[in-house]
Amino acid sequence: MNHLSPTLLRIQNLEVCYGPVQVLWGVSLSVNQGQVACLIGSNGAGKTTTLNAVAGMLKAKAGKIFLKEEELTAQPPRERVKRRITLVPEGRQLWPKMSVEENLLMGAFSPGFRKNADANLARVYEMFPRLKERRTQLAGTLSGGEQQMCAIGRGLMPDPELLMLDEPTLGLAPKAVDEIFEFVRNIRSQGVTVLLVAQNVNYALEFSEYAYLIETGKITLEGPSAVLLSNQYVQEAYLGSA
Amino acid sequence: MTLVDFTSLMVSALLLAGIYAVMSVGMTVIYGVMKIVNLAHAGFMMLGAYLALELFERFQIDPILAAFLTFPVMFLLGGAVHWVLVRRLPHADEPTLPSLLLMFGLWLVLQNLGYLIWGNTDRSIFTPRTLSVVNVGPIAISTLRLVVFIAALVCLGLLEAWLHYTWFGRSVRALIQNRYAALITGVHEDRTAGIAFGLGIGFAGLAGGLLGSLYSFDPDFGRAFLIRAFVIIVLGGLDSISGVAIGALVLALVETFSIIFVPAGYQLAISFALLALVLIVLPGGIASLLAKARRLA
Repeated sequence: MNHLSPTLLRIQNLEVCYGPVQVLWGVSLSVNQGQVACLIGSNGAGKTTTLNAVAGMLKAKAGKIFLKEEELTAQPPRERVKRRITLVPEGRQLWPKMSVEENLLMGAFSPGFRKNADANLARVYEMFPRLKERRTQLAGTLSGGEQQMCAIGRGLMPDPELLMLDEPTLGLAPKAVDEIFEFVRNIRSQGVTVLLVAQNVNYALEFSEYAYLIETGKITLEGPSAVLLSNQYVQEAYLGSA
Repeated sequence: MTLVDFTSLMVSALLLAGIYAVMSVGMTVIYGVMKIVNLAHAGFMMLGAYLALELFERFQIDPILAAFLTFPVMFLLGGAVHWVLVRRLPHADEPTLPSLLLMFGLWLVLQNLGYLIWGNTDRSIFTPRTLSVVNVGPIAISTLRLVVFIAALVCLGLLEAWLHYTWFGRSVRALIQNRYAALITGVHEDRTAGIAFGLGIGFAGLAGGLLGSLYSFDPDFGRAFLIRAFVIIVLGGLDSISGVAIGALVLALVETFSIIFVPAGYQLAISFALLALVLIVLPGGIASLLAKARRLA
């Protein structure tokens, strides 16, 4: 099925630097429409950097980023949001002194999204009833799991075509981790394409269809998630089984 | 001190706090969004005072209304200054030397423009309202100060409503609280910062216009108020708008009641002493004190 659906996101030989330090050394990957793809790898391998580059928060030194056939490499973040690419960043990055509802509404800030904001807000509340209960509460006072829901909700407000989730379960209680992955499983039924970054390799591979392994800024292995799950190298290096 | 004395001091402190809040809120918005300490704030307050004076003298416009009319003019001026100069400063998460120097230089330029256009004589806006009083029981309240206070409250209310209930206002708060998050949700930073800068300057002009009908002024006008604004902003915790209201009230109370113990000429010294004290004892402002109390509770 995957190879039949068209490519949504295509990254070509992407190189990114933080000042003088180069982090990505020619990353190429693509995500098909309706797919849940994941990017796995250890700390500092370049996972978050890749997502930030796709969101436009980091400039590409070389390489190209396409959404469908349109090249986005030189576009600022707001142009990418307009094309319904949203990032749910590592560490949630909410506005602590704004209410839950204000945080969610900001997700639809781009002028084209405002007229659908109410409908999308209702949809997010339906997905995460706990956010509705706490809609007037300041985001900074939520629990970690609730903050993550709020960050995901914000990412869903523009009706995203591509939803990028960066470490959505980092630092959460086991029950909250299950809830978040359950959400990832459900969101694909709504036709949202997901690019997931996670250190929890076991979970990430179990809940995705296609996976890329990134090591020191390069993609070193890719394939259907089930195949990577049984790959001996992945098992030894990332799943801790000999 | 009799109860009547106490009450009238409380009333005058409250009335003073209103105008103090308006003159500080512009600096707070600019600092919050761009982390720039607007040293030129005093210069823009001076321009606002002269603008109100010109409107009053040439067109016989009521000085309070004139102060409000300076707002759009100063807003546009602020937007232009941002576009021409401030926009070129590199982005930073804390005040940088180039930003301080730029704003200080701008203040000097504005001041000297003031001397060039209006000369160095003291000017004042005098209307029948200037000396009139309203008597509430045994307490006499200056009509002008009361009107200025109400005008100040209206402005602060409008700003607060704008920040909370409009898309653009929310994006300003988003940029203040978490710049990264604001950018990934599509906030246009340059445009937002330009409008925020315009607002800050608009409020400086408005405050200058209101202060101009209370005090006499010359092109150096605003220096003493700039220091007070610093105290208020530091008390309020640098980037919160409700903090500004609290800071303004604290400063106004301290200044007003200090008259009992210290000659009025030393009022500015009180502001300075309070600034030093706050920086040493309570660097996070009143908000940090409240947060600490909440943790202990």
